[in-house]
Amino acid sequence: MATSIYKKLVSLSNVFYNEGLEKASVRDLTGAMESLHQSLKLDKNNINARNLLGLIYYETGEVVAALSEWVISKNLQPDENIADEYMDMVRNSPSKLEDINQTIKKFNIALNYCHQESLDLAVIQLKKVLSLNPGFIKAHLLLALLYLKAGNWDRAKVEAKKVIKLDTGNTLARRYLKEADSMLLPGESGKLVSDIASSGNDEVIRYNSGNEMIIQPLKKSALTRTGSIWGIVLGIALGVAASCFLILPQRIESITAGNKEKIANISEESDAKSAKLSEYEQKMASMDKQIKDLQAQVDSYEGVDSTSASMNSLMKAMDCYEKDSSDIEGIAAALENVDLDVIRDSVSPEFLELYETLMSKVGPSLATSYYNTGYDAYKAKKYDEAIANLSKAYQYDNTNVNTLYYLANSYAENGDIDKAKEKYDAIVTDFPNTKTAAAAQTKLAEINNSGN
Amino acid sequence: MLNFEEELRKFKPSLEIEDAEDIIYNRDLDDMSDVIVKLLKDAKSEADNSKRSR
Repeated sequence: MATSIYKKLVSLSNVFYNEGLEKASVRDLTGAMESLHQSLKLDKNNINARNLLGLIYYETGEVVAALSEWVISKNLQPDENIADEYMDMVRNSPSKLEDINQTIKKFNIALNYCHQESLDLAVIQLKKVLSLNPGFIKAHLLLALLYLKAGNWDRAKVEAKKVIKLDTGNTLARRYLKEADSMLLPGESGKLVSDIASSGNDEVIRYNSGNEMIIQPLKKSALTRTGSIWGIVLGIALGVAASCFLILPQRIESITAGNKEKIANISEESDAKSAKLSEYEQKMASMDKQIKDLQAQVDSYEGVDSTSASMNSLMKAMDCYEKDSSDIEGIAAALENVDLDVIRDSVSPEFLELYETLMSKVGPSLATSYYNTGYDAYKAKKYDEAIANLSKAYQYDNTNVNTLYYLANSYAENGDIDKAKEKYDAIVTDFPNTKTAAAAQTKLAEINNSGN
Repeated sequence: MLNFEEELRKFKPSLEIEDAEDIIYNRDLDDMSDVIVKLLKDAKSEADNSKRSR
């Protein structure tokens, strides 16, 4: 009989445990706690029920109650008990346990403040508690109650909703929520009866939304009408600014595109001009070449001219000789521009024969005339004049060594050392074993010794 | 309208860690079977007493 009763109790206890488990699974923590208490009253050895009750206490922030259940559970069933794991979880994080204990102490202090009617301090304390342990249901509920007392319906509603989110079956939270809702005007969310009632002023409605107080004007005053004008002005200004920001970039882009096109055209023109320039340069180069060729031709023609001029001069000299063979000066003047050394290669053998014939007749006389003039100039130290006349004298008579010697001296005195050395060499070569050659040798030695 | 004082009385101080030991020791763990056993014992002792008095 007794056994069957015991079995019935155990069975009934398990029914309540299942109910508690089902409620806990939908976060109806209050309902679950009630069912589990029932279960444990029927059978204190229902370990599962006790452990689950401890877990629910832990979830609601009642850590000490939770630990108590787990310790009793462990005593009742020392082996294979999940309560071990739960207690280890708490033991292994002592700092967290300490934080939880601090929140519990602060909650108790807050509750004490409430009894002492220091409600503001209690609110502050509870806010601290919830910042440390947001799952502490009792703290949320007490804070909601304090907000209700202070007339902060909206905040009370927020706190009550938080509790319902944590514990869907919390009747106290539902009561507070209902109370807060009843204080709000139906259909006008957030607007408070108390505010409307207390507000003798028709111009504004004050109401709380979250942590903020919102003041909303009811009637449009002259000031608000002015405000609307300012709003229109501001809107126009913003519109202008927006159009500037939207249109200006496009405008800048189109201008930039135009400039790029212009730059491309200019670049093309520049390339074309560069090509033309190089073409002109090539043409100039070819023309320079043509000019040089033509100049060469002109130079070649000059030689012809010189030859023909020399022929004319020779003919003139022959004419003078035939008219008056003693007119040495006239013959000399006619032959002035004839330099046989220059034209020798370009003249005909007949010309040379005629020239030699004339020279055999008048050459010595011409040479003597030029020699005398040149020697006088040499004596007078007019070396340029001496060089010109003595050169002519030597041209007409190259057998007179004195002509060549004074010519060399004139070059030496005039500073034309190379020419002087050339002439002295000619003396030594052409007139060897003469006193003049010895003198020329001495002059050459002097020039060489002087470093030239 | 809620009565603040009445509502406040529903809130009890939370259990602190330091009190855990006392709470566990002083916990009344009796369940329904303990109550029944006690009732049966009481009933039995009453029956014994009545027998002796007869």
